[in-house]
Amino acid sequence: MSRVKKLVAGLIAAGVLAGCSQGGQSASTGPSGEPQQGGTVVYSDVMYVTDALSGFYSTGNLFLQIVDRLVYTDPRNGEITPWLAESFSRNEDATVYTFTIRDGVTFSDGTPLTADIVKANLDQVGKGDPDKKIPAFTDFVGYDRSEVSGNTVTVYLSAPNTNFYRVVAGHRAGIRAASTLALDYEGQAKIENVVGSGAFVYESHVPDQKVVLTRRDDYAWPPAVSPNQGPAYLDKIEIRAIGEPGLRAGAVQSGQVDVARGIQPTDEAGLAAAGKQVIPVSAPLLTSNIAAVRIGNEDVSDVRVRRALQLGIDRDALVATVLSDSYRAADSVLNHDDPAFVDLGDKIEYNPDEAARLLDEAGWKVGPDGIREKDGRPLELSVSASVQSVVIKPAFEFIESQWRDLGIKLVNNAGDTTAYNIAVADPSKPLLGTRTYYNVGLALLFGRDKNTLTFAADDELIALSGQELSATDPQKRNDVLAQVQQQVVDKHLALVLWDEVQVHSASPDVHIEFTNLTEPLFQSAWKSSQAEG
Amino acid sequence: MTRYVLSRIGQSLLVLLLAYTVVFWGVSILPSDPATIFVAKGEGYFNPEVVEQVKQFYGYDKPLLAQYFGQLVQLASGNFGFSLSSGQAVTDRIADVVGETLKLAGTATVFAIVISVGIVLLATTSRFERLRKAVRNIPPLFSSVPTFWLGLVILQIFSVQLGLFSLFPDGSVASFVIPALVLAVPISAPIAQVLLKNAEATMRLPHVATARAKGGTPGWVIRKHVLKNAAGPALTVTATTVGALLGGSVVTETVFSRAGLGSVLMDAVATQDISLIQGLVLLTTVAIVAINLAVDLIYPILDPRVTRTQSKGFSTRLGRFQ
Repeated sequence: MSRVKKLVAGLIAAGVLAGCSQGGQSASTGPSGEPQQGGTVVYSDVMYVTDALSGFYSTGNLFLQIVDRLVYTDPRNGEITPWLAESFSRNEDATVYTFTIRDGVTFSDGTPLTADIVKANLDQVGKGDPDKKIPAFTDFVGYDRSEVSGNTVTVYLSAPNTNFYRVVAGHRAGIRAASTLALDYEGQAKIENVVGSGAFVYESHVPDQKVVLTRRDDYAWPPAVSPNQGPAYLDKIEIRAIGEPGLRAGAVQSGQVDVARGIQPTDEAGLAAAGKQVIPVSAPLLTSNIAAVRIGNEDVSDVRVRRALQLGIDRDALVATVLSDSYRAADSVLNHDDPAFVDLGDKIEYNPDEAARLLDEAGWKVGPDGIREKDGRPLELSVSASVQSVVIKPAFEFIESQWRDLGIKLVNNAGDTTAYNIAVADPSKPLLGTRTYYNVGLALLFGRDKNTLTFAADDELIALSGQELSATDPQKRNDVLAQVQQQVVDKHLALVLWDEVQVHSASPDVHIEFTNLTEPLFQSAWKSSQAEG
Repeated sequence: MTRYVLSRIGQSLLVLLLAYTVVFWGVSILPSDPATIFVAKGEGYFNPEVVEQVKQFYGYDKPLLAQYFGQLVQLASGNFGFSLSSGQAVTDRIADVVGETLKLAGTATVFAIVISVGIVLLATTSRFERLRKAVRNIPPLFSSVPTFWLGLVILQIFSVQLGLFSLFPDGSVASFVIPALVLAVPISAPIAQVLLKNAEATMRLPHVATARAKGGTPGWVIRKHVLKNAAGPALTVTATTVGALLGGSVVTETVFSRAGLGSVLMDAVATQDISLIQGLVLLTTVAIVAINLAVDLIYPILDPRVTRTQSKGFSTRLGRFQ
């Protein structure tokens, strides 16, 4: 199949580029001025969501429109701001969180939003419900219980967790109506059963093809920082699943969809030249793109080898060669626009000579076929990576060629879903390409016993995690996170690659903003009626 | 007759049991497991305790042999289980898309038969020898055109460049007929080939000479005396294309962004969704077995020379699936 996909991508890309030579205009951005009422936006995602409780980007993209959340992360500055909770606070060591629930909110089935419903949501997500076959959600670390008093809900955690706001700002903590909560996993997973208080409601769907949502006319409780404080401007949203990246670009190019996610670097220039918006949306709540190193694997257990792997990657050349201007080389395991980011670029600068020296020192000598060997064993590493990113495959192909010069053979399984699913849970697979939420804590992500990024406990990181998860003061938290980043980079528990970004393309007549989880906020989106659809 | 049908049904059940067994053990020996993939879904990490919990929910914590027989009992009672990768019951997941695939595959088969008969009629009755020769070359051409290439070229030219129809299914006739035609091309090749060969062989038989001697026009002779006799083997080939249809539909569905069994099967395999793979394999097996059974029963009607005792078992044809 992968050959098919490559060809699809190639042929359509060629067509897009060929077609754009007629346009010749400079890249435009969305319309400005007064928002206009009405219209339907067709949005293409990369996959169809069959399970409302799954954690894919696509799941969040869909349910942000239907299900509101307690708090909203302001995409401009990362501040936590009110949504269904009109105010919120926490105690000094982040073990008790209090949310005051907004008045006058109703779910789309007419039932009112109450503190009791919020508690029922948090309890079910945080603790799971075995009778309904609902497992506890991993990110609700240390969730103990919620208590209701009037219109406030107080959440008690068994251990400090400063990331809890971020967790409730995410898709899985969206507040759903009692009728949804009463269902078992299978029932809650179905899109038609999800009742929320969102700006749009479910209208219809065609399995594996599209979901249609309609505006809720009485909607009056958007995120406090949304530019639109009333009902959505758009009448409808049609969410399409187009799996092939090249076809998504072709669909925007030909005006068949208004907005598409997952645009390949090779399609960006053509779309921009054809007058389409190319919008790189950054994701500061995730780690940067990394290759997590399973340090229990014999070949990479020596830190010198891991350092050589990192120094053998020219991140700037990677961005310039196989990515695009929408991307940026990462300088830490956090993205540049994360407030806790520290620049560790100096420590991991491209240095193939030093990399070769380190490999020699570690006993890996260049063999007759150019591949390094130790005790007759070749230095052959495999990498698997999620297919959710359109650039992960070309990026690792580039790394493969750079490492070949150093005498390291990379078996590139990037883009192979089966291989990735196996590698996620297999400590013997040396490299896992990923970028992930660090809501469980950055230190625990890399250092907890049985963590799936490195599969190795790290005492120093575990010690730091206590401070990380209890630091309610932003400066203190950033200081701790700086130390965590240094530890991870110094020990080369992950190879630092490029900043996470989701590149979208949109028709020039669509005005659209995104959350800092890269979800499209259609509540504030609008479409200019001058241009034809 | 009853006894024959009963024994064929018995054989079919045996095939189903074997298919179940092969799939169960084949998927079970893979290194990862569906519960882990379920919990890690969309995330870069998972909590091992939650994985254990999910295994308990769906019985994946039991010994493999207990799972094997447990699921067999469930299947026999019509419960196909829960598809972890899609968060839906297996029957729901399949019901979601099976209609689309049946529509596409059914239409493609009809197109394929029409194309094949058209090719044979042209190749045998046309007055122009050059045309007859050219048409004879169509089946080999069709069987060598890759479906995805054809689909993409059509999309690129007629959808992206000319905007004549949608890149994805939008309910229009064109967005349905074009994928069906693309899928029909490789299916029609073997049918046309076999039908043509048989038609040509039949035309050399004495009864055709007699029909011609009676003064029949070429078209009449073909229709009344050749096609029916030549149809038997072509029917068999048509039945064997069921497997090819499913394979072809994976590609067609991907290229035309369509829903269908092909893409569901691909996802199921990629996520080691045991229950879903089993459901799909059993469904496909039932379809293939049923179609072959139907062909065996129709055969004697088409060609009275073939008695049931001579009819070939389906196993000989089973090997021909591509």
